[in-house]
Amino acid sequence: MSASTPKALASSGQKPIQEMCHPLGLEEAAGVLTPSPDVGNTRNSIGEKDLSLPNGTPVETSSPASSSSLLNRLQLDDDLDGETRDLFVTVDDPRKHVSTMETYITYRVATKTTRVEFDLPEYSVRRRYQDFDWLRTRLEDSQPTHLIPPLPEKFVMKGVVDRFSEEFVETRRKALDKFLKRVADHPVLSFNEHLNAFLSAKDLNKRQGLALLTKMGESVKYVTGGYKLRARPMEFAAMGEYLDMFTPKLGTIDRIAQRIIKEQSEYLVELREYGPVYSTWAVSEAELEEPLEGVASCIANCSSALDELTEDMSEDFLPVLREYVLYVESMKSVLKKRDSVQAEYEAKLEASASRKEEGTTTAVPTDVEKCQDKVECFNADLKADWDRWQNNKRQDFRQLLTGMADHNIHYYEKCLTAWESVIPLLQDQQSQETRSDIEKD
Amino acid sequence: MAEAVNEEPARIGGGGLTDTEVENNKKNTMVEQQGSTLLRRLEISVAEAEKRTGKNTVNMQETFTMYLIETRLIDVMTEGHNPAPETLWRRYSEFELLRNYLLVTYPFIVVPPLPEKRAEFVWHKLSADNMDPDFVERRRVGLENFLLRVASHSVLSNDKILYGFLTEEHGWKQLVYDTGFQAKADSRIKALSATFRVKNPDRRFTDMRHYSDELQSITSQLLRVRARVADRLYGVYKVHGNYGRVFSEWSAIEKDMGDGLQSAGHHMDAYAASVDDILEEEEHYADQLKEYLFYAEALRAVCRKHELIQYELETASADLISKKQQREELATGIVRTFSFKGMTNKLFGQETPEQREARLSLLEEQIVQGEVTVKEKTSECREYVNGAWVDMQRFKEQKDRDLREALVSYAVMQISMCKKGIQVWTNAKECFQKILSSVLMNTDQIFVG
Repeated sequence: MSASTPKALASSGQKPIQEMCHPLGLEEAAGVLTPSPDVGNTRNSIGEKDLSLPNGTPVETSSPASSSSLLNRLQLDDDLDGETRDLFVTVDDPRKHVSTMETYITYRVATKTTRVEFDLPEYSVRRRYQDFDWLRTRLEDSQPTHLIPPLPEKFVMKGVVDRFSEEFVETRRKALDKFLKRVADHPVLSFNEHLNAFLSAKDLNKRQGLALLTKMGESVKYVTGGYKLRARPMEFAAMGEYLDMFTPKLGTIDRIAQRIIKEQSEYLVELREYGPVYSTWAVSEAELEEPLEGVASCIANCSSALDELTEDMSEDFLPVLREYVLYVESMKSVLKKRDSVQAEYEAKLEASASRKEEGTTTAVPTDVEKCQDKVECFNADLKADWDRWQNNKRQDFRQLLTGMADHNIHYYEKCLTAWESVIPLLQDQQSQETRSDIEKD
Repeated sequence: MAEAVNEEPARIGGGGLTDTEVENNKKNTMVEQQGSTLLRRLEISVAEAEKRTGKNTVNMQETFTMYLIETRLIDVMTEGHNPAPETLWRRYSEFELLRNYLLVTYPFIVVPPLPEKRAEFVWHKLSADNMDPDFVERRRVGLENFLLRVASHSVLSNDKILYGFLTEEHGWKQLVYDTGFQAKADSRIKALSATFRVKNPDRRFTDMRHYSDELQSITSQLLRVRARVADRLYGVYKVHGNYGRVFSEWSAIEKDMGDGLQSAGHHMDAYAASVDDILEEEEHYADQLKEYLFYAEALRAVCRKHELIQYELETASADLISKKQQREELATGIVRTFSFKGMTNKLFGQETPEQREARLSLLEEQIVQGEVTVKEKTSECREYVNGAWVDMQRFKEQKDRDLREALVSYAVMQISMCKKGIQVWTNAKECFQKILSSVLMNTDQIFVG
């Protein structure tokens, strides 16, 4: 399997990862950037004149498609949930940055939108993984009642995975792209101010977010999870149960997929040895040279088809499973938060009830009512997100599994073509012989 | 050794063979149909195999397999009768005895090999047990193939012992031992294991010998790698079977995706199961290759035997030349070459005229004898070369035809495997696509309602 030998990122691909300074890391130093020839090439460099808006957003001047045409094009995509999309994001063009302190990858985050919340229809900024991480944390803190899509795992085993290999960067880019698209498609999350900043701000002021923690977030953190709920509503209990059962299935599918990839790679190793044996044999068989060579090249064709299948499966199949494993974790943590909000409400209600019994007050205090509102609000948000998630999951798995079937069909079709084309080569002489035999008779 | 050929061939009525019979035989085997072979007169098959238990020569209990040989005279059948076939039981060891007899009796023939005694080059899921039904069945097919090949061979098929093997259940073994082939067999083994330096090797035979080595090494390599390929293919298919279980378990917790997953799971089960048939079929291809692996040994034996005969001829003529030289020396008194005799003569003086006369006449006698031997050996060698060359050409043609056919059937197997694969995955894909259509249907219903 080629995945085991990561190629150097810079050496291949049409878009080599250029080494450049991180624009985010140099907040006040527009002037410092310009002397570097590398930076001059990057399109979003701060050197571009007068296009910075009051908020300092750089604009991509050389945009190939206008936002409206892009909107039209993208809306044709299988937009099955029927929501109108007016915010389009893509993560692409990974580049490697080397400084004395660290080496890291940035990705271009391109945005096209018609939303009034954005000052411009298009943005293009460079972000690194930790910026995405920042965004996710901000989203989680500011929208605690919502399911935040997962990010790919931050930590990779050093030495086992080359963080700068083309494969690793591409897999991560895809995952980041998926994350951002999921956020941008979300009816609530997509209006989050941190997302806005992430997509449009020239410099991401990461400190800013910390001060904006909502009260909701604080109160959620305040409650400890040890409290036993009196009555968790059925539907949320069912969600929890579902997740508990879904997780091992995901794990099993992931293990099976990996095992298949391993078996296929081993099969490939043997096939690559098997084909050439026929070639060797062809040397000592005058009459059978052509058929044996034919079989050898046929096996070679099947080998490369298998190689392709294995590569496609490890690139398309496994990352989606990973994402869902993480997605389930996010969902579980939201459910936990919901429980604690309910717990807080129940505790307050109980306290007020006992106070009522004592006869101190007769009215339900406002903070209990507030808590009840909060629970109801949370429940509604969570239910909406759950349905969304289920819908996404169905779409994703349908795509994933039909994709698997397609890859396999494609593989067998290639092998079929190879073997069918070798048949005349094998029969040729024979049919000639029979023909001449018939003539003799 | 060529006696048997000249003997009256075992006759069982005149020729006469319908086209359908020829076709049948052609279908069953890849044997030649030319010349007056036994197979034109006799229908032969190994109809079944049976496990038996009995006592062996040292009175030990043993289990073995017996094979039922059925024979029918063809001309009787063409006359419109349909008699029940003559049947008799043989053990594998009796087939071995027959083949050893043929090897010794017809050293210039590339004698068809027997199927393997023990399963070799097997991939791990296949049983290597001699009593395994699949193995016994494959061996039954192999033994039948052997008999058909021998019975269709222009020389071998006319052998009396072969006919006895097919028709006389009892007393046949004694008949074989009476030919005294065992003694020849022992010397043959010794001769074939020794190496000789032949002065004038026949290029054709050395080339053929070289080829037999190549054939043997390449077929065994191919069989070894193929067994590993089969192992891996088995693994790939069987692991897919795990999807069957997890999809069906998963379907239980899903509302809208359930049906699609459940039935996709069945297709994955079917996919995993299909590899058993695929690999069983491939085993037939492996058997075809194995036959040629063993044929390589038979071909080499023919070449080795030629070397041996050539060596004997060369030794005999070298001996004759040296005798003639001695005679000349004795007659002229001139010692041309250094010899022990010359030395003793010099040391101990000339021998008496009587002694000389006696020695000379002995030499003369030996020379006459030697000349006869050389003549015999020369004609033996020539005869051997002719016979062997004819049969090696026959073998070559048979091999090219068989292997081509084997490759075709192998390719056909691969094609059917690919088609099966496409079918299963297309079915599975349809199921996967249902995952969403059911949801769409639900939403439609909501809109309608």
